[in-house]
Amino acid sequence: MASSDVVQYRSPARRLVEILTVVFLAVYLVWTVLPLFIMFVSSFKDLLEAFKLPPTGDWAGAWVFFDFTPTVQHYVDLFADNNFGTYLANSIIASLGSALISVVFGAMAAYSLSRIEFRGKRDLFFWIISTRMAPVVAVMVPLYAIFRGAGLVGTLPGLILAYTTFNLPFAIWILKGFFDNVPYAIEEAAMCDGCTRFQAFREILPLVAPGIGAFLVLCVLFAWNDFLFASIIGSGGAKTLPVATKELVQPQNIQWGKIMAAGVVTTAPMMFLGLLIRRYLVTGLTMGAVRE
Amino acid sequence: MASVKLSNVWKMYGQTEAVRDLNLTCADGEFLCVLGPSGCGKSSTLRMLAGLEHISAGDIYFGDKRVNDLPPKDRDIAMVFENYALYPHKTVYENIANSLRLRRMDKALIDQKVKKAAAMLEIEPLLDRRPAELSGGQKQRTAIGRAIVREPQLFLFDEPIAHLDAKLRAHMRGELKIMQRDLGTTMIYVTHDQLEALSMADHVAVMHEGVLQQFGTPHEIYSQPVNEWVAGFIGEPPMNFVDCEMVEEGGSLCLTHPHFTQVLTEAQAAIVRAKDPAGQRQVRLGVRPDEIAVLAEALDEGIKARVLVTEPLGGDMLVDLALGDSKLLAKTKPDFAGQRGDECSLTFDRNRWHVFDRASGLAYF
Repeated sequence: MASSDVVQYRSPARRLVEILTVVFLAVYLVWTVLPLFIMFVSSFKDLLEAFKLPPTGDWAGAWVFFDFTPTVQHYVDLFADNNFGTYLANSIIASLGSALISVVFGAMAAYSLSRIEFRGKRDLFFWIISTRMAPVVAVMVPLYAIFRGAGLVGTLPGLILAYTTFNLPFAIWILKGFFDNVPYAIEEAAMCDGCTRFQAFREILPLVAPGIGAFLVLCVLFAWNDFLFASIIGSGGAKTLPVATKELVQPQNIQWGKIMAAGVVTTAPMMFLGLLIRRYLVTGLTMGAVRE
Repeated sequence: MASVKLSNVWKMYGQTEAVRDLNLTCADGEFLCVLGPSGCGKSSTLRMLAGLEHISAGDIYFGDKRVNDLPPKDRDIAMVFENYALYPHKTVYENIANSLRLRRMDKALIDQKVKKAAAMLEIEPLLDRRPAELSGGQKQRTAIGRAIVREPQLFLFDEPIAHLDAKLRAHMRGELKIMQRDLGTTMIYVTHDQLEALSMADHVAVMHEGVLQQFGTPHEIYSQPVNEWVAGFIGEPPMNFVDCEMVEEGGSLCLTHPHFTQVLTEAQAAIVRAKDPAGQRQVRLGVRPDEIAVLAEALDEGIKARVLVTEPLGGDMLVDLALGDSKLLAKTKPDFAGQRGDECSLTFDRNRWHVFDRASGLAYF
């Protein structure tokens, strides 16, 4: 069997490229991971220790960064005094709720767009995608007016609806590609087996599972990391983690310890989620693109 | 079990006529093959029978029941697809059991039926595998298993063995025929392979460009083709065609060609005269390669031709011949001694040849 590796021959230029690659990756790693690391460590320090800095140029003094007595006081304060439990729950409900609603309606819409021919289908599909072309800020004011009129501002259903407005077109767009790749014959076989059209649709859902999985994660990420909707539509009754964290910055008192702890609380679940489904996510995002 | 009747059925895709005014009947328990080249409308016909395509015009009856407006699930049919269309995420067992589970059949009964079908198709050891782990032949057996557990009133097979290798295909032809006879279920089988149609079917419907050309037993299709197209399509290697004039000569009808004159039999002449009393006739003579006898020496009474090339096939030998400007293919014994460029003489089997009207393509006999 032929190997699929690209054959490469060693040359001085190639060697140089290899070294540069390693150097670049090392710098990039420090650049991306160091802030997270500082955030994580600082969240266990009290304010004085957190701001202990060596004099400029004293590289040996860097060890003072690790010279502290660990404390979980910031975390305790966050959940005891600042209601972070509620905000965490809000974040989870808003992001999962919107992701689930988007995936249910998105899958059905994507299936229809993939399978059924009707007049104006291409225009409809373009129109659905085009809703994602304008920046969110552009529609924020009218959206706010509509939501306020409907009494949805400051409620979790309102926030879920707002996220769904933006996730649903995305869902349709991604999932249509996946449905396009499923052969018609499988549904036809299902219908001959005795399925209704809707049962046949359910029958092929496992075949688009990687797409649904990938999309769910992207939706959750979008809603979880969102600040704009959460601060405007969700302000008041449906505060999520990013907004709550922002409120720890007060004019006279920036509560760095709590902010660091809140950062960890916000970041950690998504990092774990990412690690958990890493392989799934990659196959999901590439599979839709490749026709077999 | 049910008989099937298609009555003036049309299928249009936009302006394209895929099936034109098709009338077909398939008796209860019969094996009907729909044969034709790709794009002849045979798959559209099958899909209309299955309910996967709307019928543009006409009616389809299963028994006495008009099924035009029934969805596939209510037609009690089982279909085997060209690419098998197995559920990739289900095991062989689940694939076969799916239709029974949809009918909420008792689990023990499902198990019994699946095992029985698997035993019949010799795929018992594969029941826990998924389609990706199966060979082409195994997938095809699974697809057939999925169809037979249903115990439907009608089987619809869409080129089910087209993608198997030649040896397995030959084996499956026999097996499918045995299976259909054992089950006694009405079967409509679509194929582009004449060998499958002739070897398995009780009746063959030959289609071309959406039009039914001929309907008959395999023997009728082969020995009495109704037109030039069917004659050329059925038979491997294909029939030879030579343009001739048909003239009256001394009370008998003769075929004349720059290189030969052949006399029709009395019976054949009677058929021609009855069908078409006009005198001068432009016709085309059709002779199958195995209806031409070739002698390696040039005899006076035979038709003289020249050997272009010989193709030994083991048990037979194909000889490409030049007869003036036309080329002929003859099938002879492998001991044929002629070489390229040699003169040789031919005799046509007068009782088995065919004559077609050159303009309409219709057969006189």
